[in-house]
Amino acid sequence: MSDTHQYGDNGTKLLMESRRSTQTDTLMKYNDTLVRTLIREQRDLEKLATSLLEADHNLRGPPPPALLIIQTTINRNKRCLLAYHAHRTSMLQNMYWKYGGALPHLLSDPDLRSRLSPHEVDYLRQYNSSLMDFRSDFTYELDIMSGIEKPPTEIQVRVRVARECGVVQTENGTIDFKPGERYVVRRADVEHLIVQGYLEEI
Amino acid sequence: MSNWGREYENRSGFFNDALDVGQGPANPPRQAGFNLDEDIDVAMQPAGAVAPPRRLVENTEEVEQTPLQTMIRHWMNERHSPDILPAQEALLAGLLDHLRSQTRNIQILRDDPRTSESEHIRIMLVQTEIERVKFLIRSYIRTRLYKIERYARFITTNADIQTRLTASEREHASRHAKITDQHLFLSVLQSLPESQAHLDDTPVFYPSMVTQPDKTRPVFVHALQDCPPVALPDGTRLQMNKGHISLTPYHVVEHLVARGEAELV
Repeated sequence: MSDTHQYGDNGTKLLMESRRSTQTDTLMKYNDTLVRTLIREQRDLEKLATSLLEADHNLRGPPPPALLIIQTTINRNKRCLLAYHAHRTSMLQNMYWKYGGALPHLLSDPDLRSRLSPHEVDYLRQYNSSLMDFRSDFTYELDIMSGIEKPPTEIQVRVRVARECGVVQTENGTIDFKPGERYVVRRADVEHLIVQGYLEEI
Repeated sequence: MSNWGREYENRSGFFNDALDVGQGPANPPRQAGFNLDEDIDVAMQPAGAVAPPRRLVENTEEVEQTPLQTMIRHWMNERHSPDILPAQEALLAGLLDHLRSQTRNIQILRDDPRTSESEHIRIMLVQTEIERVKFLIRSYIRTRLYKIERYARFITTNADIQTRLTASEREHASRHAKITDQHLFLSVLQSLPESQAHLDDTPVFYPSMVTQPDKTRPVFVHALQDCPPVALPDGTRLQMNKGHISLTPYHVVEHLVARGEAELV
């Protein structure tokens, strides 16, 4: 039984991958092989459908039932392919927001980078530049990229420096963050450093 | 979320009290314009309003809504509505302008060596307030952004929904629809046979390829005044009196929310 291949099996595999990815909340490696296999299957199906149509044309009868099945498979596979990619881009967007829109930070992570397809890296770059355009409308008042999970309760925050992040310019002068030291700083000034993991709240 | 709104109101009450304490004779008035009390009052006025500064009364039913309260209302509606609501450009611009001038005044007051210790505490309260207002506005903008990205393709084809967006939101929607299409084209569609390489198929029994706002999603609605009866999907009518809270599909109460007769909670 296990060797029997049905129309749509590959599409289901691809969907299962998306589902697993949602359940574990991790972005899996881009499954280039499976996507290619599916695309090849689509081409073969298309050829099959065309040849059936031509044969049918000569017979002048009602279309053979096989045609209906093939076309349904083509539609289904295509939707599976698109769903797989759309699911990945929405995961990428979530990740992008989780890191406060720090694209260089995100792309410099070799582990993540290895799981993306080249097109997805391009996509992230374009997404980022589109958002930067949008963000520039609000530059003078607020940064729309900052967190929106918890309303702020105080303006100061105690932080511990987890990773080297050098001298940071703030509204009230510069702060030289030394690893391992603790500081009390204005939350708005260091929000992005906390999100990116340079500072830890205590 | 409503908890936060309540807490927020309490805070602003506390905030004004704190400012009142500071208004004793020990505190000689400064040059006008940098007076914090006055600024706070202005914050509650519509931008550009010439009305004299007025104390904020806690009892909201007797006083007209302040811009901030109106903003909180819009923010909650936006967060709960499956559809994109009309943009509040004028309101938002007024609040942003005010945030900017408040920040500037604080900067000047803080750098002024004559600022006393108790005034520093007041400045700190104003700063906290500013951060909280910023949070609210940020959350509002991001909620809209999320929906815009989700329905980007639908927005580019629907003129009605476009009227509810600001110019920059519209641009972002079309940019987003474009890069998503492009990504799908490069990754999948360009490799498929010509007849399959479209994004607007409408095969039977398949859901549409364009994500649309789901107006049948249930929402909790709270009547702010006596509302005209609405028709429920099963044909019965629902008469909501003031204060009534009900769980209905969004499309049933859509017009009430748009007219401000009800709010989503």
